[in-house]
Order: sequence, then C-alpha cells, then structure tokens
Amino acid sequence: MENDLTVWLSKSFGLFYLIAMSIGIVAYAYWPSNKKQFDDAAQSILGNEDRPWR
Amino acid sequence: MIAQLTKSERQLALVILLAITICGLAMGIAGRDDPLGVHGAIVILAGLAGIFGVIYAYYEPEPSEARLALYYDDPSKVGIILAMGWVLIGLFIGDWVAWQLVFPNLTFDAGWSSFGRIRPAHTSAVIFGFGGNALIATSFYVLQRTSRARLPDQLSPWFVLLGYNLFCIIAATGYLMGVTQSKEYAEPEWYADIWLVVVWVAYFIIYLRTLVRRKEPHIYVSNWYYMAFILVVAILHIVNNLAVPVSWGHAKSYSAFSGVQDAMTQWWYGHNAVAFFLTSGFLGMMYYYMPIRAGRPIFSYRLSIISFWGITFMYMWAGSHHLHYTALPQWVQTLGMTFSIMLLVPSWASAGNALLTLNGAWHKVRDDATLRFMMVAAVFYGLSTFEGSFMAIRSVNSLSHYTDWTVGHVHAGALGWVAMITFGSIYASVPWLWKRERMYSDRLVEWHFWLALSGTLVYVFAMWNSGIIQGLMWRTYTESGTLAYSFVDSVAAMRPYYIARAIGGLMFLSGAVIGCVNIWMTIRAAHQPADERLADRPVPRPAGVPAFQPGE
Amino acid sequence: MNIFRLHYRLERKTIGFLLAIVGVASIGGAVEIAPLFTIHQTVEDAPDMRVYTPLEIAGRNIYLREGCYACHSQMIRTLRDEVERYGPYSLAVESKYDHPMLWGSKRTGPDLARMGNKYSDEWHVAHMTDPRAVVPASVMPPYAYLGRATARIDDLGLHLKALRTVGVPYTDEMIANATADAYGQAAPDTPFAEGVTKRYGEATNVRSFDGKVGDPTELDALIAYLQILGKLTDAAHRPVAAAGE
Repeated sequence: MENDLTVWLSKSFGLFYLIAMSIGIVAYAYWPSNKKQFDDAAQSILGNEDRPWR
Repeated sequence: MIAQLTKSERQLALVILLAITICGLAMGIAGRDDPLGVHGAIVILAGLAGIFGVIYAYYEPEPSEARLALYYDDPSKVGIILAMGWVLIGLFIGDWVAWQLVFPNLTFDAGWSSFGRIRPAHTSAVIFGFGGNALIATSFYVLQRTSRARLPDQLSPWFVLLGYNLFCIIAATGYLMGVTQSKEYAEPEWYADIWLVVVWVAYFIIYLRTLVRRKEPHIYVSNWYYMAFILVVAILHIVNNLAVPVSWGHAKSYSAFSGVQDAMTQWWYGHNAVAFFLTSGFLGMMYYYMPIRAGRPIFSYRLSIISFWGITFMYMWAGSHHLHYTALPQWVQTLGMTFSIMLLVPSWASAGNALLTLNGAWHKVRDDATLRFMMVAAVFYGLSTFEGSFMAIRSVNSLSHYTDWTVGHVHAGALGWVAMITFGSIYASVPWLWKRERMYSDRLVEWHFWLALSGTLVYVFAMWNSGIIQGLMWRTYTESGTLAYSFVDSVAAMRPYYIARAIGGLMFLSGAVIGCVNIWMTIRAAHQPADERLADRPVPRPAGVPAFQPGE
Repeated sequence: MNIFRLHYRLERKTIGFLLAIVGVASIGGAVEIAPLFTIHQTVEDAPDMRVYTPLEIAGRNIYLREGCYACHSQMIRTLRDEVERYGPYSLAVESKYDHPMLWGSKRTGPDLARMGNKYSDEWHVAHMTDPRAVVPASVMPPYAYLGRATARIDDLGLHLKALRTVGVPYTDEMIANATADAYGQAAPDTPFAEGVTKRYGEATNVRSFDGKVGDPTELDALIAYLQILGKLTDAAHRPVAAAGE
C-alpha cells in the first residue's frame, strides 16, 4: 500500500469514526428509557450490600 | 490462605506451583551464565515456598459451604498490605535517586545503585508495585460489591495477586542487575512480559466470571473503568513488548520495532499506560469509594459514561505528543496534539463530576481526612490533565520537553492524583475489610494527608521552576546571536531545585510511613463484638466521623 | 430456566461491552502507527548507512543496561537552538537499525545523537571514570567499574542473529565472525582487526578505546558505541535532508 493512501485513510476514517462515536455515546447516555437504570446504578452502591445475592 | 482453598483447589495450586518451579529450573539451567539464571533461582524459590505452604496446610479441613454467602476479601487484604509495602520501597528509592542528583557519588561506586538502574526500579515499584496492587485489591472488592457476587473461586485471585507480585519482583531485581529493555515504563524483559500476560489473562477471566453472575443487568461504572484498565493494558503490553530474545538462555531481547516505528509504538504505549493504568483504574476506584465515603451518589452518572468513552477513545491518539519536532511525520504529531487538547473535555468532566459529588458534603471533607485525600486527588486530576493538554501544544512542548517540567507534571499526576486517591480508598477500605470501626488514629491520617499534600506541592513547584529555567537557558541567545549558556551551566543552575525536590519527596515518604503504621495498628487492634463484625461495612460510633447509614 | 435466561443475557451484554472497549481503544493506535510502516516511501534513503559492528552492539547494550536513556536523549529536534547546540537535526533513517530506539524523553545530561568523534577516547575514559574530574558541575554517576569489567563478546553472534531476525541486514559472514570482530576492533595490531574494516567499511574506528591492551573491557565497547553515534550515515549533513513528511 502507498504511504499517501494509508495516511489519507487514517485521516479521513479517524474523523468520521470520532463523530459517529460521540453521537452514539451521547445518544446512549441521554436516551430517556435509560434514565432509570442510570439513577438506580448511581444509588446502588450506597445501599446495603452485605452479602452476595445468591 | 491455604485453609480457604477447597481440596481440588489445593491440588490445582500444587500443579501450578510445580509448573512454576519447573519453569524456574529451566530458566536457571538455560541462563546459568546470565542474569536470567538469577531470575530462575528467584522463580524456583517462589515456587518452592508456595509448594511448601500448600503441603503444610494440605490436610486442614476444607472451608464450609457457608463461605459462599460471604464476599471473598482475603486477597484484597493482602493486596493492600503489599501495595503499602511497595509504596515504601518505591518512594524510598525515588527519594534516593533524587538525592543522587544533588550528591552524584551516592552510588557508592557500584553498578546496581547508579541512577540509570534504580530509576526504573523507582518507577516500577510505585506504578506497578503500589498502583498495580492497589488496583487489584480494590477491583476485587468493588467488583464483588457492585455485582453482588462472590469471586468465582478461591484460587484464581491468589494466582493473580501473587503472580503479579512475582512479576514486580522480577522486574525490580532485573533492573538492579541491568536487565532492561530500555523502553520507559516497559523495561521488564521478555520472560517477565510473558508471565505478566498469563497473570493478566487470569485476572480478566476472574472479572468476566464474576460479572456474568451479577445481580443487575447494568454494570456499575467503576467496573467499566477497571475493565478498560485490564483490557487495554493487555493490548498495549503485548504490542509494545514484541521482541526477539537473543536465545532461550539470555535475558536480553531485541525489540521487534526500530527507529520511528519503535518510538511511536513506545509512546503510544507510554502515554496509554498513563491513561489506562494510572487513570482509568483509579477513576474506577474514585467512582466507588468517593460516593460512599461522602454518602452521596455520583453527581451525574450520565457524565461518567460520556467521559468514560471519551477517555477510552481519545487517549489512544495522544501518545505522539511525546514526539513533537522529532523525526516522526508531522501529521502524526498534529493528530496527537489535537486529541491531547480535546482530552481535556472528558478529563475535566470526570474531575468536575467528582467535585460536584461532594456538594452537600463539604463539612465531611473538612472533618474527614480520608475524604479530603479523595477530594484533593480530584483537584490534582483536574490540574494535571489541564497541564498535560497544555504541554501537548507543540510550541509549549518545544520549551517543556526534555526538561524537569515533564517530571513535575508526572509527579503532580502520580503523587497528587494516583497516590492520593489510593490512600483515600485504602483508608476507607481498611476498616471495612478488617471489620474495624475506624482507623487506629484519625490524627495520623491527618498527619499523612498534610505531609503528602505539602510534599507534593514542594516537589511540583521545584520541578516547575527548574524545568522552565532549564528550557529557557537552552534557548537563550546572546546579543551577538550565539547560545548564551553551555549545557553544564543549566545543570549547575538546577541544584537548589533538586535539593527542594528531594525534600518534598522525603515529606511524601514520611507521610506514607505514618500511613503504614496506622494501617498496621488498625489491623492489630482488638476485634469488635461479633454482631458488628458481621456487617460488611462496620459503622463508626456517632461520636466519630458521621458516615453513611446502611440503607441510606 | 429463568435464571439461565438471565445469565445468558448478562453474558452477552458483558462480552459486547468488552468488544466495544477493545474496538474503541484500538483504532487510535492503528490509525497512527499503521501508516508509519509505509513511511520508507517518503523518507530519503541513506545508501551509505552502515550497521553497528559487534563491539558497538556490545557497547550499545551496556548503554541500555545502565539506563543511560533516562538522562540522555538521542533525538535532536528541528529547533534552531538544538541544531546550533548539538548539530543537524535527527532524521528517521538514522535510527532505523536501532532496536529499540533511544530517542529518550529527558535531558538531565546533554543529547548524544551526534556524540561520535566530538571528544577524544581519552576524554571519555576520564569522564566515565570520574565525571567530575572533567566536568566539575556534572551530576552523572561515576562508571569506573566499566573499565574493570571485561566485555562479554563470546555470544555476539547470537545477538547479531537476533537483530537480523528483526530486520537488520547482517550477513552470515558478519554473524560467524562477530566475536573475532569485536575483539579485533579494540585490538588494532592483531590479525583480527583486518576483518572489521573488511566487513564494516574502511571508516570503522579500529583502535584500543580505553588505551589498554588485551580483551576489550566494557568501557572499550561503550566508547566504541559513543564514538559512532550520528556517524552511521551522513544523510543529516546533506544540504536538503528530507525529514519524514
């Protein structure tokens, strides 16, 4: 493979990958149906975890 | 330790230990005229000690089924003790090398004690010995609580913990004998690297087997960070350490890469060792211990998710900022610089998230030095990530690179962030693990805190001064257009700062000694009444620091 | 049955999560590192580039062993003051036989990329034995013991062979004569010396580096290495040296 080609691929693919990644993550974090799950998770460690559950 | 293993685990332990001893024997024979032979002997000794220990306790009664209703914390306890042992070794050597720059003859005319050999012993002892053991110990603790599942068996955690420490010992003793790949933070030679891969796979499998038995479908965010630490460190370690040994009887190997490819691979590794060993894992620690100690949930769980993926994604691009103005192609340098600056976003999101978690608990920060350790850690995390992004800018880097400024930056992160969050987490977990009401002495925790904080500040300010002076002296011109200072002028100008740095390090070391004494006295303290010992996290009496109540 | 279904779901989720971490994390490295392996197409070749002699390899390994990279860089950046202080800036091609590279990250001492022939052997011997006898303000540790230790040269053939495996063009003849060449390079008046210049070029330094007769010491090997730094090719000294871009 030519150097110019690999460099071009790296530069362009890297950019699109970054954009897609960020959109995906923000969507996941703010997806309304995930809210409850996240709130529960944040609280979960403060609760009583004395024993393994089974 | 052995009594907790089931019969079949004891047998398996014997098989593993025998295999280790045979490997040691093979290393000893193949490398008899080489430092490899010494390492063979160390491995044989470790294997034999293990075999002797297992046989000694082989006929003790098996553990009862009742153990399955409790978490398995003994590996975490031993891990914390080992971490504190390594921090003393690492800080002591660190302060010694610091004094060597003031009094260069502190090597006593020997090879093993010269700067170039004990400097990697210092970095490995603090990063891998202290940091690694603390990560393993706390990750086992956090993994079990957040999954509400016991570790899958009794043997594999010991294999991981003790095997990892064998790696650390081989690494540290190797440097003193001159066994090194001369790749920063990846100095151990090929056989130690292979052994670490074996240990790491076992570590990963423990994580997987525990996680699939968890109660909730959602995995708590701390585990994300711990998992990224385990997985990515494995990738980095394997790629960067690809090498061809001179022979099976030589400790020496030659890196598979050379020149510019080797430089890029090395700093891709080096910078991500910072990201995934020294940041990711410790953020996992912070996201568990800080909310509990403060008695408040994370300020924004969503933000912690976004910053997780931000850190995982962007750090991997940042390594080339270590190679500004070098023979590395410029577009790679620019890419590294850009991502390093963007990294500030997820980094500050994490630091801000941590500090905002403390909103409403500032009175606890005032009263409780343990929580204050964590708070200061988050502040230093924010400061050093800002400094890191700043230093990655090409024009700033032209001044700061190759100078003590880099050393100061690393220590702002290592002392201020990594060590502080670890001490905070250890002070929180020691009473929980040993079922004590509180640490032996809160005043000693205060002493440790103030010594650590002032030591860090003295250190970092000394290095900022020396680094910037050095950088400026190197590029100062006289009016006639010639360089104003010879190199050795800049060396001479560093002396006062090197003295200050060594004193700062000494303060930090004394704090750690106090911490060790305090932990030791807590462990030795008399047991509490049986009913209180049953609680997973013993609650201090009301007179003490007001902590959370169960079910809060 | 229910518990199995839960288990299955949890497992699938965990594995997916792990793959996501690996995927997200690997890309950055791949994008930056992969193109570097085609970089030889844009870096000017250095046809005059020679490989390290066995004695220089032994010396380089002492440099590695002592951790010199912790205080000395071997990478002159493209900045005016560095070029004026140390010499022409370093090119990628100059370290193409360096396994590993020793670009370094810290200058507690000066850069060494153009150290070759800058000082005499006698200066190096005195400086290694007691740095402060030569440079009073130096903070370098003394390395007097290197002058007392005989260098291990009997296994250098294996070293060259391993280096050939990772891509350094050593010939069979070089590998077969590695030990003799290492001896000969530091013993100019012996029959072994001739082979060194025959195999590695007329410009190779053949002399007793530490000024003592007999088996080469570790100091011999180290100085042989220091005296070749920046001298493997003169590509960097040519008027239009193409850096990697």
